[in-house]
Amino acid sequence: MIGILLAKFKQFIRSPWTFVIFTGMSIVMALIFGGSTGPTNLKIPTYTEQGVDNSIKDILEVEETMEFSYMTEEEVRERVSTGKAELGVILKEDSYQLVVGVDSFNAGLVEQAIASAYMERNLEQQILEVSGLTSTTEQEAFIEDMKEELSSPVFDLDSKSFRGEGAFVYNSNLQHVFGFSLFFVIYTIAYNVLPILIEKRGGIWDRMILSPIKKWEMYVANLIYSFVTGYIQVVVTFLVFRYLVGIDFNGRFVETLLLLVPYVFAIVSLAILITAIAKTVQQFNAILPIVAVSMAMIGGAYWPIEIVYSEILLMIAKIDPLYYGMQMLTGATVYGHPFQEIFVPLSVLVLMGVVMTGIGIHLMERRHV
Amino acid sequence: MIELVNLTKEYKNVKAVKNLSMFIERGEIVGLLGPNGAGKSTAISMLSSLVEPTSGDVRFENSSIIKNPSKFRKIVGIVPQEIALYEDLTAEENLHFFGRIYHLRGAKLKQKVEEVLEQIGLSDRRKDVVKKFSGGMKRRLNIGVAMLHDPEMIIMDEPTVGIDPQSRNYILETVKRLNEERNMTVLYTSHYMEEVEFLCDRIYIMDKGDLIASGTKEEIKKILSSENTIAIKADRFNKEFLDALQNHPSVNRITIGEREVLIIVPRAVNMFSEVIKIAEEYGIELVSVDNKAPTLEDVFLHLTGRALRD
Repeated sequence: MIGILLAKFKQFIRSPWTFVIFTGMSIVMALIFGGSTGPTNLKIPTYTEQGVDNSIKDILEVEETMEFSYMTEEEVRERVSTGKAELGVILKEDSYQLVVGVDSFNAGLVEQAIASAYMERNLEQQILEVSGLTSTTEQEAFIEDMKEELSSPVFDLDSKSFRGEGAFVYNSNLQHVFGFSLFFVIYTIAYNVLPILIEKRGGIWDRMILSPIKKWEMYVANLIYSFVTGYIQVVVTFLVFRYLVGIDFNGRFVETLLLLVPYVFAIVSLAILITAIAKTVQQFNAILPIVAVSMAMIGGAYWPIEIVYSEILLMIAKIDPLYYGMQMLTGATVYGHPFQEIFVPLSVLVLMGVVMTGIGIHLMERRHV
Repeated sequence: MIELVNLTKEYKNVKAVKNLSMFIERGEIVGLLGPNGAGKSTAISMLSSLVEPTSGDVRFENSSIIKNPSKFRKIVGIVPQEIALYEDLTAEENLHFFGRIYHLRGAKLKQKVEEVLEQIGLSDRRKDVVKKFSGGMKRRLNIGVAMLHDPEMIIMDEPTVGIDPQSRNYILETVKRLNEERNMTVLYTSHYMEEVEFLCDRIYIMDKGDLIASGTKEEIKKILSSENTIAIKADRFNKEFLDALQNHPSVNRITIGEREVLIIVPRAVNMFSEVIKIAEEYGIELVSVDNKAPTLEDVFLHLTGRALRD
């Protein structure tokens, strides 16, 4: 088995072009579609009416993904109407108004942030009223103490549902890094599994069967090689975006790399299944793009699956490994879900991997003794 | 040493091999001859335990290869019709790889690789990647890989397809030498008569899945003992002349080439004067009319009515 692996890696070093091309493609495509020149915040033109106290502004300042820039009401409306901004905000004393130019994913997100800022401000005011404190210094000290206490709550709260509370968060950079990486790695892996078909037709496989080497060693060596090259490709892509482009994966970079393992395994087994079904290299070359592109479209690689409402497409997505790959990666990074919630898509991928490997090898073996 | 007993392989509704029975003794070179699609490669795949027969058995030293292939696999080397090599690796790396899968290691592996490179005449090209080799060199390395583990028997499936005459001679000489020096048993399939005539002690001829003749070269040629092959040469032939020959009651078979026509006629018939008479009648200027010694090609023509490379 070691001999087969050594031969494979020697060949890889001699002609690494498939790997290089698809790694390059996933990086370039994610850069182009994600517009990734660094971490970007959502810039929101904001007008504040008279009477709005500064605590609202202070609360909104803390938002990491949004940047509220203050200007006149006319400027806000002008920016939105000319398309320079997706939406604008008019903050009033006890309410707010969103100025929406186009229906965007971010409108809900901004509204949620502003609504909770008002709620927080109102809560503070009510508490202060009940407290009976009159001097501003005392009130500020009280609020300070209260915030400190709240930062170490008595109870930990765990979210249990995978999609959160129905609202979805869209992070363009991560969406495209994940989407294109998971998409292009299908090609790299598949073209590394394809030599099984070529070796079978070319007689190398027969030579190995007649040798003392065990059949399982032949399969395992090929699968390990395909897995490792596929995994390295996605890791390289993620490293480029983490350290060169500066996307921080919301602090869960290592988890993201680990979550790739079941996805890459599932894709290796899918490639085995395709290789087993295709009788010739030409057939393989015809089947692969159809499968890969369909998987990417249905699984949410090109656009977030959350904007798909067709029940049929969502149902088909449930048999698409890429869908579960995206669910895991966005779940871990964008939504910050704990492991328990990522366990379901992870298990489905492992199950898919085992089933497809089993069927694929069975189909491949039908010819031989 | 090996015996094939009523071996049949059926794919869907096509019988690739029909009730094939043959044997190979230790130290023999046996030829399996037939045109493309005759069933030679399928027969070899079944013999080498790579393909399961639909019915029948292959026996090696009184045990079934189909049921227990491991004993036979240890002593056999196979040279497939395709170039079964890694094109991106060098000749030496290919030999090292295939040596390793036969559990050769260290000094033993190195020594065997040296030995094989020497035998196939590629010592000075050992560091070149296979994709830069000529067809002949690839074929030689293809054979070399099969010899690494010192097999007692080697099965060669058309090992000279598509190569230049020089490389072909080199391969044929190598096979002959292996047989003579190491008493290696060889099963050699080909659709080149001259190769089989040069190499083989005994010959099996297949056509369309059937075994149509078998025996030593002499025995097979005796099939034609009651007939003569006459070679007629001219600068050109016309249709009338060829029709007249074809319709002549004494002509059993006819093969038409551009400047040569072969006819098979009963030995008792004197066809020379007949041929000259017909040529004069249809205005053909003959170059020569010869009585040819029968070849295996003639035998195949006699048995099937087709030339071997049809």
